[in-house]
Amino acid sequence: MDSKVVVVTGGASGIGRATVLRFSEEGYAPVILDRDAEAGAETLSLLGSEPVEGQFIRADLTRKAEVTAAFDSILSARGRIDVLVNLAGGTFHKGAIHEVTPAQWKECLDLNLKTTFLCAQAVIAPMKQAGRGTIVNTASNFGITGGAERTHYAASKAAIIAFSKSLATELAPHGIRVNTIAPGLTGTERVRGKYDADEWAALSGTLPMGRAAMPEEIADGIFFLAGDESDYVTGATLHVNGGMVMP
Amino acid sequence: MRRLEGRTAIVTGSGQGIGEAIAMAMAEEGAGVVVAELREETADAVRRKIEEGGGTALAHATDVSQEPSVDAMVQACLERFGKVDILVNNAGIYPTSTVADMDEDEWERVIGTNLFGTFLCSRAVTPHMLQQQGGRIISITSGRGLQGADNGAHYASSKGGIIGFTKSLARELAPAGVAVNCICPGVSDTAQPRGHRTEEELYASAARIPLGRIGQPADMARAAVFLASDRAKFVTGQTLVVNGGAIMQ
Ligand SMILES: NC(=O)c1ccc[n+]([C@@H]2O[C@H](COP(=O)([O-])OP(=O)(O)OC[C@H]3O[C@@H](n4cnc5c(N)ncnc54)[C@H](O)[C@@H]3O)[C@@H](O)[C@H]2O)c1
Ligand SMILES: NC(=O)c1ccc[n+]([C@@H]2O[C@H](COP(=O)([O-])OP(=O)(O)OC[C@H]3O[C@@H](n4cnc5c(N)ncnc54)[C@H](O)[C@@H]3O)[C@@H](O)[C@H]2O)c1
Repeated sequence: MDSKVVVVTGGASGIGRATVLRFSEEGYAPVILDRDAEAGAETLSLLGSEPVEGQFIRADLTRKAEVTAAFDSILSARGRIDVLVNLAGGTFHKGAIHEVTPAQWKECLDLNLKTTFLCAQAVIAPMKQAGRGTIVNTASNFGITGGAERTHYAASKAAIIAFSKSLATELAPHGIRVNTIAPGLTGTERVRGKYDADEWAALSGTLPMGRAAMPEEIADGIFFLAGDESDYVTGATLHVNGGMVMP
Repeated sequence: MRRLEGRTAIVTGSGQGIGEAIAMAMAEEGAGVVVAELREETADAVRRKIEEGGGTALAHATDVSQEPSVDAMVQACLERFGKVDILVNNAGIYPTSTVADMDEDEWERVIGTNLFGTFLCSRAVTPHMLQQQGGRIISITSGRGLQGADNGAHYASSKGGIIGFTKSLARELAPAGVAVNCICPGVSDTAQPRGHRTEEELYASAARIPLGRIGQPADMARAAVFLASDRAKFVTGQTLVVNGGAIMQ
């Protein structure tokens, strides 16, 4: 019950899974919030030998009622939330602007931006009460550069940067820090699955460092932003991208 | 586990302030440190402090704005440690004057120390990092480099220049696995801002900082250790802003 608690949204797979493992190695009790129960169980099973207990809660984080229920149950079981990492998100369709339907636009903005807003809102009261806490939100290289056929995704990720800065200013007097991690191309299953081997090699080769990030490398950046090492950092965006974008 | 065990780090301007904190922190994390500092006495004092703490250090009286001095420093580093894994370009000066009153010598001195010094030191270590296919270069920029200064166009130019230089060198060295980044401190509790602010003004600046305090050298040291560690090996061409939220880039 004494371990620090980290809540990782989208923690069932990809960068989220690597993040859960990193925090667990560092002695945090990780709580995974994700809509994918099967992947969530698999991530928990990887924690097996770790000293602190992990927990999975299934939720569609675009729905406020499910977010509220999830955080209520975390707080009543654990009594604290030290770190929130908002990783649920991604793009599931690309398309030229005239092909993006309002429903697709809304789906993308809800998945990336609204989940971030709802989950951040849910931890404010307990963090204020504790007088401390950190929140890490997830942007993307596309939030800086924009991306053709990714207008909705790029808009949502740029919005997350502005949201994080606003929240950082709002919560700083309460000792709560808010920062953004901006991954570049990262070799998660979801993203790898969009390309065949040759396309992936060619795409990775365009990065200055000549390869895509490993999910663990993004998790390392998130852990820095979330922990005491970055005590004096708030409202910042850390890009972990092998030089793909240098804003 | 110490995070920089077995590495060699050169930290310029490390006789006091932020540089000293970075040198001490890197030594604590297991690195052998070259205290490359203009003033011999302070360089030696920091070397002694590191050794008293059980660390390994070499003091070298170095003027980062002079090529022979920089080359001699890197040579001394190689002789003592056999390699260089980390360079921290921290040496910097911030005299104040308006552009109208700025004399050429002062311009040359500021650009020469802050920007040319960063170039000279980076250039001197690069062949060794390329040869070992790895390394880290971390340069200290400033909020003035992002937003300008109303009493130090030379300082702001030098710090903005460091960011452009860093991004370019990051591109150049990425294929060899060498990462090049900046740390951007906010107003910090060292001698430098005391050159142009009273004690009251210095602490009053905390009121404009979201986290409610000015920076401490140790804050910058933690960021430098992170950027030098294995945990940041895919971070390159970036500016890590450590300023309590004073400027959100
Ligand atoms: N992989 C990359 O190249 C890359 C690059 C930049 C940014 N990002 C960002 O990083 C984050 C993680 O990406 P990833 O590649 O690890 O993706 P991923 O698909 O592997 O993981 C995302 C997780 O979020 C969960 N999720 C999705 N919608 C949800 C919802 N409504 N409620 C609850 N859970 C939900 C999924 O089930 C999944 O487990 C995303 O925000 C993504 O935009 C990824
Ligand atoms: N303190 C702040 O508020 C602040 C804010 C933003 C950026 N910075 C930057 O951080 C760095 C460190 O600043 P500090 O506050 O510790 O300053 P400081 O004045 O306390 O220390 C600077 C050190 O650099 C040394 N030095 C000066 N010229 C040199 C040269 N030519 N060769 C070698 N060493 C030389 C000095 O002797 C001194 O020991 C500087 O680059 C500064 O511009 C400081």
